[in-house]
Amino acid sequence: MKRNWFRRFTGVRNRGINPQGFHVSQIKFYLLLLPLAVFMLLPVVFIVSSAFKPPDELYAYPPRFFVIHPTFKNFTDLFSKFSNSGVPVSRYLFNSIVITLVAVAASILVSSTAAYALSKKRFRLKQTLFAVNTVALMFVPIAVTIPRFLVIERLNLLDTFWVHILPGLAMPVGLFLLKQFMDSIPNEVIEAAQIDGASDLQIYWRIVLPMIRPAIATIAILTFQAAWNNAETSTLYINAESLKTFAFYLGTLTTGATGANAVAGQGIAAAAALIMFLPNLVVFIFLQSQVMSTMSHSGLK
Amino acid sequence: MTNSNPFRRGVSLRVREALHGYGFIVVWILGFSLFTFLPLIETFRYSLHQVTVTAEGIDLDFLAWANYTRALFTDPNFVELLIGYLIETLVSVPIVLIFSMIIALFLNLDFKLKGLFRTIFFLPVVITSGPVIKELTAQGATSAPGIANNPVVAEFLLGLPRALRNPVEYLLTSFILILWFSGVQILIYLASLQKVDKSIYEAAAIDGASAWESYWKITLPSLSAATIVNAIYTIITLSHFSENKVIQYIYAQTYNVHGGIGYASAMAFIYFGVMSLLLGIVYLFLTRWAKKESN
Repeated sequence: MKRNWFRRFTGVRNRGINPQGFHVSQIKFYLLLLPLAVFMLLPVVFIVSSAFKPPDELYAYPPRFFVIHPTFKNFTDLFSKFSNSGVPVSRYLFNSIVITLVAVAASILVSSTAAYALSKKRFRLKQTLFAVNTVALMFVPIAVTIPRFLVIERLNLLDTFWVHILPGLAMPVGLFLLKQFMDSIPNEVIEAAQIDGASDLQIYWRIVLPMIRPAIATIAILTFQAAWNNAETSTLYINAESLKTFAFYLGTLTTGATGANAVAGQGIAAAAALIMFLPNLVVFIFLQSQVMSTMSHSGLK
Repeated sequence: MTNSNPFRRGVSLRVREALHGYGFIVVWILGFSLFTFLPLIETFRYSLHQVTVTAEGIDLDFLAWANYTRALFTDPNFVELLIGYLIETLVSVPIVLIFSMIIALFLNLDFKLKGLFRTIFFLPVVITSGPVIKELTAQGATSAPGIANNPVVAEFLLGLPRALRNPVEYLLTSFILILWFSGVQILIYLASLQKVDKSIYEAAAIDGASAWESYWKITLPSLSAATIVNAIYTIITLSHFSENKVIQYIYAQTYNVHGGIGYASAMAFIYFGVMSLLLGIVYLFLTRWAKKESN
C-alpha cells in the first residue's frame, strides 16, 4: 500500500489502476494539499476582507485577518471621489481596457513569433539574440527609465496612445518562457509539417501555437497584469488627462488622500486595490483552464 | 545535419531559412533595440557621468568610475543591501524549487478536484505582481514579524552562529512570501512531468526498480532542464520584485539630490553584475548536475 502510494507520487503511473473518482485512499493527498492551498488563497481573502474594513480595524495592531464589522464606507468614499473628477471615470476605464487588450494581443504575437524564430529556425545571430535577451532580462527596468524617456521623446510618441503599448511589446520574460516551451516541441513534428508542404507561417500558426497554449496563456496573464496595473506610463509620458489609465487615476486618488487625510486614505486604498485586483482574478480564472487542460494532451512526448 | 545532401540543401535554401527566421523576429528586434537595448547603453554612459537635469536638457560631467567606487566603497547602505539580497535569494531559490517540484509531483497524480488544486497553486501569479502585493506589504501581511519576537524563536536565533542567523530569520519571517513565488515554476515542472514517457517507468518496474529508484533515476533527471529554467525564472522574479530593497534604494537615489541619475545608473549596473554572477553560478552548478544526472 505504502509502496504503491510512493510509486504514484514519484510519477510512476499505471493507467487503469488509478481511481477515476474519489476514493478513501486519496484522503492523504487532501491532507497535504488542502492546508497549502488555503495558504495560497490567503492573499485573496485578505485583499477582499481589508477592502471592507472600517478604519479602526485597518489600523489594528496586531493586524487582524478577517473583517469583523464589514462596511461599504471605503467604496462610497471612493465613488464620491469619482464624481468630483474633471474627466469622467469611464474615460480612464475605456483607455485601460483598450490599451490592455491591444497590449496583450500584440505582445503575445511579437514574443511568440520571435520565440519561434529563436527556437526552430537556423540563422547566424540566433544565439547572440537569445543571449542579449537573457541579459536584458536581468536588468533593472527603473534604471532605463530616463534614457527610455528620451527615446520616446525623439520618436514623437509622447502624449500618444501608442506610448502605452509599444515599449512593452518586446517583453524579455515572455520571449524567454515561450522559447523554453517551444524548445520542447520535437523537431520531427515540424519536419513532418514541412514535408507535407506547410509554410513557415502555417507551421507557426497551426502547429507551434496550439502546442504551446499553456505557455501563451501564462504570458497572457502576465502581460495582462503588467498592462492593466501600469500607472507609470501615464505618469511619465502622458500629459493629456484623457489619455491616462484607470490604474493611474486610482493611484492619484489614494496618494492624494493619504496626504490630506491619512486614515480615510488607507480605506480608499484598500477599496481601490480590490477594484484593481478583480479584473486580474477574472482573467486568471478565465485563462487558467487553458493553462491546465491543454497541458495534458498537447501531444508532446 | 543540414548538409547531408549538398545539392538539395544548398546555400540558397539555408539563406532562405535564415531570411524566414529574421522575418519572424524582426518586429521583436526593432522593439527590443529601441526601448530596451538603446536605453541600456545610454544608461551605461550615464553611469560614468555626473548627470544633472536642466531646463535645456541633460548635462553630463565625465567622472570615469567614480560612481561605481562611491557605491561600492563609500555608500554605507548599498553593499549591505546587496549582501542581504544575495543571502535572501540563495535561501529562497532552493525552497521555491523544492516546494514547486513537490507540489507539481502531487498535482500530476490522479485524484478528484485535481483541476481546482492546480488553479489554486497557480494563483500566486496574480498575487506577487500588481496591487495585491502592495496592499499586503502595506498591511504587513507578507511577513510574520511576530515569529522573530517569540521568545523561543528569538533564543533559538541567538544560539545560531552569526553567519546563519540572518538567513534563518529571513526564512522564518518570509516563508509565506517565498511560497507565493512558485506559481509559474509549478506550471513548468508540471509540463515537463507530463512529457516523461510512461513506458520508461514500466520498463524500469519490469527490471525490478523500486519507486524510490525510479524517482531518482527517471523522474528527477527528466526534470533537470525544467529545474534550470525555473532557477533562472525564480532569480529574475525575485530580483525584479517591486518590494525588493535594492530596487527601492536605487529608485530612491534616482530622484535624490545627493544621488542623481548617474549614481543610480552605476548602482543598477553593479546590481546587474551581481545578479548575472549569481545566475552564472546557479546555472553552472545546475548544468553540471544535469549532465551528471543524464549520464
